[in-house]
Amino acid sequence: MKTEQLIAILSRDLTPVRPIAPVGRRVLLWLALSLPAAALVTWHAGLRPDLAARLIEPHFLLTEAAALLTALTGAYAALCAGLPDQPRWKLWLPLAPFALWLATLGQQCWDSFLRLGPAGLTLTTDTMCLPAIAEGGLVPAIVIVILLRRGGWFRASHACLCGGLAAAALGTAALNLYHIEDAAIMVIVWQLGAVALFSLIAALLGRVVLPPPASPLAAEKN
Amino acid sequence: MSDEDPVLRKLMAAAQRGESASYARLLETLLPILRRAAHGRWRAASPADIEDVVQETLLALHNARHLHDPARPVLPFVLGILKLRGADVLRRRHRLAARESALDDLPETSTALATNSEQEEVLDAGTLRASIERLSPGQRQAIEMTKLQGMSLEEASLRSGMSIAALKVATHRGLLALRKRLGGGQ
Repeated sequence: MKTEQLIAILSRDLTPVRPIAPVGRRVLLWLALSLPAAALVTWHAGLRPDLAARLIEPHFLLTEAAALLTALTGAYAALCAGLPDQPRWKLWLPLAPFALWLATLGQQCWDSFLRLGPAGLTLTTDTMCLPAIAEGGLVPAIVIVILLRRGGWFRASHACLCGGLAAAALGTAALNLYHIEDAAIMVIVWQLGAVALFSLIAALLGRVVLPPPASPLAAEKN
Repeated sequence: MSDEDPVLRKLMAAAQRGESASYARLLETLLPILRRAAHGRWRAASPADIEDVVQETLLALHNARHLHDPARPVLPFVLGILKLRGADVLRRRHRLAARESALDDLPETSTALATNSEQEEVLDAGTLRASIERLSPGQRQAIEMTKLQGMSLEEASLRSGMSIAALKVATHRGLLALRKRLGGGQ
């Protein structure tokens, strides 16, 4: 088919479309729906008894802030990735808070090692993290998928990677409010491990979750 | 930013409102820009590939009309689609090209397209017919009825007067003999 013919077909019987909201506003919508859901999961599980004491510890605050920032920038990057005209740096924005998160926990690991020796890096099984993060991140994940499906299918894998990261990071931030797990090595392995796992699974499902729309020519043929 | 972008932005806004004429004008205005950009980006690509990339970009733009923020310029949006879709199209092309052979270059008598070059010889109808003729009468009758005429065992049993078990044995032995004669081994 000649391109000029294609233009004639595409512009025939054009239907109006409603432009989507800017990325910032959609991130706010994601937060407005996801934060209450994460809070509900936290409330249902019950706040950890030492939360008041932890909330004045700089390490704990920094870890929580990094997790929340990872969630926020992850959602922003996911929604930017779906659009074709966003600069590349926005797509990799979550790397900065994620690195901060990892560095904060890494430093805590090092401190434990200096204080306790190899005993400070003892790793045991924590079967709670994975399902708890999945539970806390479920609603944020559903909301980001809905927003992405309406808001662009370009770079589907990257969009889903960042969307998965956002949901899992928010689930982890919530988890830290009701689950006592203070050994940094455990947090790195089980919590960040779960975040990485969920993000990768989301990236692999990218094309399934965000399939490209049917060709307008298919409708023309029918 | 290009001088024509305010015009493009107006046309895009009209296209989002469903105005066909404005949309056609928008696409016609974009067409040479897209061709030039595609050619500049993928210099090694053939003219057909470039046109494919341009068409895919127009199709994707059609599906992505609602993604354009009226407050933002049109050209980066469209060129962004060109970059992403073009890379997809050319990647797919290269993948296909690695698996396919061009048919145009092969002479009509070439056997390059035969899936099995010995197939013709092995399955030669005359050879097969001659081999069947050389089977014992019982095996030949069983093969002809059950394999060539497609009768059921019951039907063949009624016609030939052989028992079903005898037919089965004769068919099996006949097939083994044929396979041996036609060089298929066991």
